[in-house]
Amino acid sequence: MMPRDIGILGYGETRHVKRTERTQFSFFAEAGRKALESAGLDKSDIDGIAVSSFFLAPDNAVTLCEQFGLSVSWAWQFTAGSAGPVAGVIDALHAIDTGRANVVLCLAGDVYSVARHYRLMENFNHSLYNYAAPHGFGGPNGLFGIIQRKYMETYGLERAQLGRIAVAQRQCAMHNENAVFRVPLTLEEYLDARIIADPIRLYDCVLPCAGADAVVLGALDRIDAPKRVRVLSGHERHNHLPEEPCPLSGGWETFRDRMWNEASFGPRDMHFVQAYDDYPIMVAIQLEDLGFCEKGEAGPFLDAHDLTWRGDLPLDTNGGQLSAGQAGAGGGLMSVVEATRQLRREAGGRQVAGCERGVVAGYGMVGYGHGLSASAVVVERGG
Amino acid sequence: MADDARYPRPLVDADNRAMLEAWREGRLVLQRCAECGRVASYPRPLCPHCWSERLGFEAASGRGRIVAWSLVHRPNHESFFAEAPIVLAEIALPEGTNVIARVVAEPESVRSGRPVEIVSEPERYPLPTFRLAGEGEG
Repeated sequence: MMPRDIGILGYGETRHVKRTERTQFSFFAEAGRKALESAGLDKSDIDGIAVSSFFLAPDNAVTLCEQFGLSVSWAWQFTAGSAGPVAGVIDALHAIDTGRANVVLCLAGDVYSVARHYRLMENFNHSLYNYAAPHGFGGPNGLFGIIQRKYMETYGLERAQLGRIAVAQRQCAMHNENAVFRVPLTLEEYLDARIIADPIRLYDCVLPCAGADAVVLGALDRIDAPKRVRVLSGHERHNHLPEEPCPLSGGWETFRDRMWNEASFGPRDMHFVQAYDDYPIMVAIQLEDLGFCEKGEAGPFLDAHDLTWRGDLPLDTNGGQLSAGQAGAGGGLMSVVEATRQLRREAGGRQVAGCERGVVAGYGMVGYGHGLSASAVVVERGG
Repeated sequence: MADDARYPRPLVDADNRAMLEAWREGRLVLQRCAECGRVASYPRPLCPHCWSERLGFEAASGRGRIVAWSLVHRPNHESFFAEAPIVLAEIALPEGTNVIARVVAEPESVRSGRPVEIVSEPERYPLPTFRLAGEGEG
């Protein structure tokens, strides 16, 4: 169970950019300062750190503290790919609950690019290095192309149904000044886009970019009630399903009942979903595994809902990684930042009217065929 | 085959040496657990099913069936660029495991469910690689 008197006090985010001269530390510094300001706290309040980044080495959570002049009693470092930042928030809340720290700064991000993406994925782990890269696998695009085709052939999903995700998220991104893609995207453009790893085309893929995200966690009574964001429940699952290279489900299905029970809410009570959108097919699978619809029903479910911030199922209201860009591991925390922004009613032109609660999911650590890790939290506004 | 050396190659280690050496001779071998009898998708230091250390390599049929596939127009490594698009497939092996492997084939001929067999040019491909086989041979 999650502690109910501890939660998210502030958030920060840098602009996502395709090219930069700035260092990773510089992006973390900007996101961290903004999060601290959003929380109304002082640097001296921070006594815990959690950091997620693919390219932090040879640095780590501790040397980051040296860079930033922080002395902390608790330090957590990234695992589980972009399921990691959400898991880090869960761990940090428990660390505060057990007295390991009072205020934790969670950071995630990378100075990421297309070239860095391919190099990272070739060397991501032993199974990809040894048993995928020598086949010319095309990075995750090739692997998720297999999963998407398998899903389409198994359940009859059509690309136009997945396209609803990319098109709706682009409409949200047009109201997100930090997003890399802010021009309209039509369903026709989605369907006719350049082939990357058939059936995956250009707008099924995220654009690697540079940026960072941050949240500050601590006792909720440190800030005014309307700005408080409580984490009602949260779970993670790793290596689901063992020895199955291309499953049509993810780890969310193992914990979703427990997560909803602990939150005392269900999927229908959610006012938004901040899903992990490395590919639209994984958003579809995530919606099923989180219990929004039955397995195999994602296509009709997507058809039946308006996925924009004005709709009946607001999805990735910052534009998601598909439109805002993927700042490496920042993609796993960007969703927490957006959920917090929405619940504080600070989302400007893409504000979900009257939202009180939502669900945030993470996914990542691509191994031999699929993302091994899944995470999710249910979050609620103030009070 | 001036191109071979440019493909990324697996790191040979104590876990995968027997599999890679067999492939150099054109044979597909799979790691089977002597205790639970199950097969691992790629070589491991212990059985991923039951954690037994009693693992051995055995000859596989070299045949399988495409479960699903993608057509990779942008491979990860430049050594594949001239050959793109590349067929990457999940292949079900009759020995009881699914693997991910390249299928050397004309993309128009590739369908989920089609039988495949290992290619006969192990010197060219760093890992066991497949081609389409006739129906009934899968």
